[in-house]
Amino acid sequence: MIRAEKLTKRFGDITAVDGLDFEIQVGQIVGFLGPNGAGKTTTMRMLTAYLPADQGRAVVMDLDVAEHPLEVRRRLGYLPENNPLHENLEVTDALHFVGRLRGLYDDKARTERVKAVVKTCGLGGVAGRKTGELSKGYRQRLGLAQAIIHDPDVLVLDEPTSGLDPNQVHEVRDLIRELKKEKTLLLSTHILSEVQAVCDRVIILNAGRIAADGTPDELSGSLQNKNRLHLSLKGPRDTVRSALASIPGASSVAGPAAWGKVSDAFVVESEASVDLREEVFRLASSKGWPIMHLSIEQLSLEEVFRKLTGSAEAGPGEGAS
Amino acid sequence: MTPVLQVRAVLALAQREFKGYFESPAAYVAMVVFYLVSGYLFTATLFLSNMATISGLAEAMPLLLTFLVPALTMGLLSEELKSGTFETLATLPLEDWDIALGKFLGFCGVHLVTVAGLAFYPVLLRLLAAPGAGLDWGEASGILLGLLLMGLMYGAIGLFASSLSRSQVVSFVIAFLFCFIFFMAGNLARFAPGAASTLMEFVGVDSHLDTLAKGVLDTRDLLYFASITFAFLYLTVVRLQSRRL
Repeated sequence: MIRAEKLTKRFGDITAVDGLDFEIQVGQIVGFLGPNGAGKTTTMRMLTAYLPADQGRAVVMDLDVAEHPLEVRRRLGYLPENNPLHENLEVTDALHFVGRLRGLYDDKARTERVKAVVKTCGLGGVAGRKTGELSKGYRQRLGLAQAIIHDPDVLVLDEPTSGLDPNQVHEVRDLIRELKKEKTLLLSTHILSEVQAVCDRVIILNAGRIAADGTPDELSGSLQNKNRLHLSLKGPRDTVRSALASIPGASSVAGPAAWGKVSDAFVVESEASVDLREEVFRLASSKGWPIMHLSIEQLSLEEVFRKLTGSAEAGPGEGAS
Repeated sequence: MTPVLQVRAVLALAQREFKGYFESPAAYVAMVVFYLVSGYLFTATLFLSNMATISGLAEAMPLLLTFLVPALTMGLLSEELKSGTFETLATLPLEDWDIALGKFLGFCGVHLVTVAGLAFYPVLLRLLAAPGAGLDWGEASGILLGLLLMGLMYGAIGLFASSLSRSQVVSFVIAFLFCFIFFMAGNLARFAPGAASTLMEFVGVDSHLDTLAKGVLDTRDLLYFASITFAFLYLTVVRLQSRRL
């Protein structure tokens, strides 16, 4: 469990994190999303007791981070930004090293743990290689392996997939999905598909504040001011079109046009609060037009993200630059 | 809150650091220079003065350590700060004292091994010298102890300098400057007036080394080395803590 209460951090005049309030339940996997400089890393550094908060407090597993920093760090696994590693260590040595510093003093038990995380993270093939010689994908796996060597309850991962190629991203995501089964997980990213792929919940940060908080679906739903229905009915085009336009609540009808694999697709718009699907069904069944396709368009998370965080960059006066 | 040292974690860090020295050329280069110079000083005194003594070592080795120790310690923390691995260390369940001491002990190990190697000279003398030529063991062990303590003190200074910058070169220069001040203070003492002279004499490392090199164990000298070593370890911890603000 992770909780932030009015968490604030300033660097000189800049307020990097500005009164954050959020709570992450046990077993949840939450994505921190935001443009660079939104305060993701600073927040994570406060949660992991690397940086002290200027105001407010952070609580991890019911422990106040400021009061029990060591105990918090013991319970928590952390992958820092850019995944720094000791370059001249072999993979297994690096894991043993971190294991010992984590308090796994018993050689036998530690060896078992190292074996287990090498397996979990798919490091078997490179166990004897120097860290500095690893590819980025393997480095990232080693970083994750170091973060879970002590089997922590809470995992904080700062941009776990940055700089990886699509295959590696996929592998690391699979690994994260594997881990999420038993742990509370907070990860940061500026890749939207990542959040949609692995997270139960998204917290969008912008300029140190929470811009949005919800499931990926909720977020894309909440920002739509129009509902868009894509549908295709098997019937005479013109009649269908005018019949659709006459449905109460329908504000506009476009089409027919090909839309993906659906030919003769119409787009019917309505107010966000109005769901026209039932009306469309009644119309179709009364007229005897089979429904070939019916779907509600969702605003993609990408669009949500741009709407929420874009103002800072594309605000008035800056657009021209 | 009084920090409670996590001894096993400190030792794990120290061990890693110690091994690290021998995985890179650093320790070997330093040792080669160290033994070349000491070998020259030893043989030169031996044949020139025809005496069974290692007192030649006490002459120039302190100056050599002023260069060598900063070279060995410059990367201790600056490298971790530069590569970002300091964040990994600092988010492990370790106090800043654990980190500083672990790093320091790693260096101590290397320095101890290096100085212990010098024991070869008195042993050689004992074997070669004519019976009754009488090697002064007190003097010999005093010199070795002096070099050991001086190196540890410089090591603590170097560790502190290493915490100040992400650049190893900058760390080296800072450490060298500090060490050089301690080295020169004693030598310049005679040019200073009255009380300043006494103070410089005390601050400088020379007077304390000289007493030890005579085979005299004086608590004042031991306290001098111990307190300056501790002071710089303390400064290192203060510095590490300030990084977290």
